[in-house]
Amino acid sequence: MIGVFHFGSVMLYGIAGALLGFSFVRETRQVPVIACGIIALGLCLHAIALAEYTTEWAQLPLEGLGPSLSTLAFLTGVGLLIAATLGQASTVGLVLAPVIAVLTGTAAVVGLVPSGQSLNWFGLHIVFAFIGLVGLTIAFAAGLMYLMQFRELKGKRFGAVFRFFPPLDTLDRLGQRGLLLGFPFLTLALMLGLAWMSSTTNPSIPSPAPAKLVWAFMSWVVLLTAIMARAGGGRRGERGAFVSVVGFLVVVAVYLIVRAGASQQGVFL
Amino acid sequence: MPIIVIGANHRTAPIEVRERFSMSQSEAPGVVSRLVDSGAANEAVLLSTCNRTELYVAADDAQRAEAAFRGVLSHRLAVPTESLSGFLYMHRDRAAVQHLFRVTAGLDSMVLGEPQIQGQVREAYEVSRQTPGLTGSVVGPMLNRLFQTALSVGGRVRTETHVGLGAASISTAAVELAKKIFGTLRGRRALVMGAGEMSEVTLELLCSEGVRGTIVTNRTFARAVEMAGRWGGQAVPWDDFPRAIHGVDIVICSTAAPHPVITLERFRKAMPKGASRPLCIIDIAIPRDVEPLVGDEPNVFLYNIDDLRQVIDDSLERRRSEVPRADEIVAEVGEEYWNWYAGLAVVPTIRDLREKGEVLRQGELDRVMRRLSHLSAEDRSEVEAMTRSLLNKLLHTPTVRLREAAGNGRGTAVLDSARYLFELDGLAEDDNGAEPDVSSLDTSNRDTGVTDGPVNSGSLSGALEDRTGFADKSAGSLAILKETAEVLEQSTMETE
Repeated sequence: MIGVFHFGSVMLYGIAGALLGFSFVRETRQVPVIACGIIALGLCLHAIALAEYTTEWAQLPLEGLGPSLSTLAFLTGVGLLIAATLGQASTVGLVLAPVIAVLTGTAAVVGLVPSGQSLNWFGLHIVFAFIGLVGLTIAFAAGLMYLMQFRELKGKRFGAVFRFFPPLDTLDRLGQRGLLLGFPFLTLALMLGLAWMSSTTNPSIPSPAPAKLVWAFMSWVVLLTAIMARAGGGRRGERGAFVSVVGFLVVVAVYLIVRAGASQQGVFL
Repeated sequence: MPIIVIGANHRTAPIEVRERFSMSQSEAPGVVSRLVDSGAANEAVLLSTCNRTELYVAADDAQRAEAAFRGVLSHRLAVPTESLSGFLYMHRDRAAVQHLFRVTAGLDSMVLGEPQIQGQVREAYEVSRQTPGLTGSVVGPMLNRLFQTALSVGGRVRTETHVGLGAASISTAAVELAKKIFGTLRGRRALVMGAGEMSEVTLELLCSEGVRGTIVTNRTFARAVEMAGRWGGQAVPWDDFPRAIHGVDIVICSTAAPHPVITLERFRKAMPKGASRPLCIIDIAIPRDVEPLVGDEPNVFLYNIDDLRQVIDDSLERRRSEVPRADEIVAEVGEEYWNWYAGLAVVPTIRDLREKGEVLRQGELDRVMRRLSHLSAEDRSEVEAMTRSLLNKLLHTPTVRLREAAGNGRGTAVLDSARYLFELDGLAEDDNGAEPDVSSLDTSNRDTGVTDGPVNSGSLSGALEDRTGFADKSAGSLAILKETAEVLEQSTMETE
């Protein structure tokens, strides 16, 4: 049943993404709201799947590639719904819904099986790290849309982007909130991770490779840089958006490289 | 009773004529009540805006209503009624209904999809509804339903299509652009350069969006003070405007200066460090007030009149592409209204049919009950319930068919047939205390032609058998009931 619910949620995220794409092209007003409803439905199925996983394996879905990606996707979906309702930016789903669908789909393909490591309070480190990454992902989506909308407004092009995307100020605030949410959590996650590394004495638990540590630290630096880019006057909105987008892409690219070369499984995404 | 609209709008009459046709809200009650009280119309609503003056009436005599309204208009223009013909149009029934729906949805407006018309229709309807005539309000069930439906159509069109979306004027385009930068304009500050009409219209719209702390500047300082006073803003001398730019989010430029008043040099002098936050400059002046190079400055979004025109053109193009969808809604709801309207015509016939059936049922029941005086009260009540049920079943299909016929345009022929077959035209005399002709019951039943309704011979017998279960003890009553069933079965067989 875990797989079925996962498959169902992937389908719903995909449908929501497709609907938003359709809405963007056809400029239909109601669709973003409907798409958010579908994402909410997908999140319900996803939550059931994660709950079943927890029951079946007697641990939270926080370690092992599949479960971790699934949880990350779930939290990103929750972030999207919060952005849509509180931030009045449901169209951000145009970027985020495919991201969530891909993450959940990958999790389903890789398999939702734990790697067998004991989590204990290390789980907290993972949850915090995920929230940090969700913040960065939201900042990325808002930043990307900000840059596109900015280009339209500055270039006096009043096409689909101008009409469909949220106002610059809305995107700017959403990106800022994403960063401000992500940074403290990722900081805490790093601190907990370092504490866990220094406290563990069990030789059967593998330590993370230096490359993974570098990746984690790099993600934190990206968040910090994006926040700092927004400080001061001038083009802070543009700067912040640009750093968020590039930073997110770098984080993903480095992760993929690190992952491809990783020999250890389990205690890393 | 036909529904008629008579009027003139921006397509049929020039502004000089429209402004003389136009009637204020205070005049409308007098016009509609005179029309209704004179008998020219049964119900009336007057809609008068800057682009149209239309009278909606429900009247037995369309010509008379039209002539009366022409009289009102010709009196206003002080010209013979014949000379109005070129400006006026008249639609009847379906066309009139569709016209009002299109008007309310903004599909007939000068600016396609403009939203004000919905409020104007509502206001016109409310004014007429509250106008007393000699026999109550001048708005009765026909126009009540028509206008309520029209307002809901207007809402649906605006919700379900994009016909009202986007900017359709210079000032709304300016606001739309500003909102795409700032989201909400609530609490934003604006500088208005020039105290002309366009500046004021745009300022009014900005203020309605929540812009506060407006600064107005003009070469003639007194005019700036006057305009700032009207909008709760602050006037600054013309030479001080570079300082004023510093603290605002939106700048509206609409001066008559023959050369740019905001040059790059002046802008940089006013903001040596550049704009620290987005600054939206709307230049609606011709010649332009702002040097185009200013738009290349960081955080500055500069739009001139052509840019605004582009926004408007895009919006109007999108609105036009939505018209077929909007018309589908209009047609769909128009059909619903028309079904309801046509259904009204069958109501008297259905009522007469039921009344006649009831009289016959009661008469026949009384006759039978006199012969079944030995029945207990409980049995009597069962027999009465059975006759009532029988009557309802018999009349169910004719009632449904009459309503359907009214809806699909065959109403008149079917109504005439029904009234003839059931002898309904003489019902008034029967109602006046005359003893109902019980003998006609069988004939009526034979002539109804009801063959495919819920009551057929088989089910009728079955139903009667069920109903008579209680009367086993009474052979007499059973015989009578069976006789009744036979009569009805025979009538059904004959029609088959």
